[in-house]
Amino acid sequence: MEVVGLGLAALGVGIGLGLIGYGAMQGMARQPEAIGKLQTAMLIALAFVELVFLLTVFVAPGSFIVRPR
Amino acid sequence: MTDFSRLGLNWLAAGGEGGKHAPLPVEGMLGYVAIVLVLLFGTMSIAKKDFGNRVFKNWFAQCYEQIYLFIQNLCVGIIGPHGRKYVPMIMTFWLMIFVSNLVSLFFPTAPTGDLAWNLAMALCAVMYVQWEGMRSNGFLGHFGHFAGPKLPIALIPITLMIFVIELISELMKNVSLSLRLYGNIDGGHQAVEAMNKLGGNLVPVGMFLMPIKLLTCVVQALIFCLLTCVYISLVTHHHEDHGDDHHGHDPATAH
Repeated sequence: MEVVGLGLAALGVGIGLGLIGYGAMQGMARQPEAIGKLQTAMLIALAFVELVFLLTVFVAPGSFIVRPR
Repeated sequence: MTDFSRLGLNWLAAGGEGGKHAPLPVEGMLGYVAIVLVLLFGTMSIAKKDFGNRVFKNWFAQCYEQIYLFIQNLCVGIIGPHGRKYVPMIMTFWLMIFVSNLVSLFFPTAPTGDLAWNLAMALCAVMYVQWEGMRSNGFLGHFGHFAGPKLPIALIPITLMIFVIELISELMKNVSLSLRLYGNIDGGHQAVEAMNKLGGNLVPVGMFLMPIKLLTCVVQALIFCLLTCVYISLVTHHHEDHGDDHHGHDPATAH
């Protein structure tokens, strides 16, 4: 059951990353001269979304997953 | 347990040598820091010989020039025209993180694969941001920055709440910077180890993760520097918005 929770977290973060990539790609295709700015903003957003999953992974072992020593 | 190591083929394990996830003893981590520093200072000392020439012919000097230009563009693009001041700090972070991420590709761990080192680096970054904020806005101005916009006197509780929330978010910057780096690097190691187990510890399937780990190396170093730049720009931005006289003063000090 716990692994299902981690999978759900990964699913949500995957959807979020995909949405960011989708938006950035569309913006870049429409306005190729703004690629630099778009990439910067995209990377920042990616970092923030990714952090959610990392926090899940780090908080999860302390709360319910019994780690083999 | 790991069959590569029994055969003396540790390098096949692609950085995820079996079962070394206990926190490192201090000497161990210092050893990895030493590897990174030797790499950095060695290449820098080779590059430095070429710095007097008009055209850089040395390969290392050219590489360092490109890295410098990249970091300078990053700083000037995000922070603004006065961003060149902050290049040395950002460059230090970039070189340290990038080289130690590269070390983590080939060694069981690296300075950035250890939470303590990342926490120390993130503390340096956040404290540097505070210091720069105080230098450009003044001590009270910097902390008044946390209190949000000027509200009428009846709304003091809201200002207080904003202040507390901003302080907490300032503290969380540290946590997010360090955990992101640590999670990406150590997570890469654990993924490689899991893939090696998939191949029965005989076929190094983890090797196939190397390209994506290389991508992670670059992106994580970039994100750390980028976020530090963003924090600096947030803190020093109001300096230019408030007074035009300060704005006119800036190029004079930049000379």
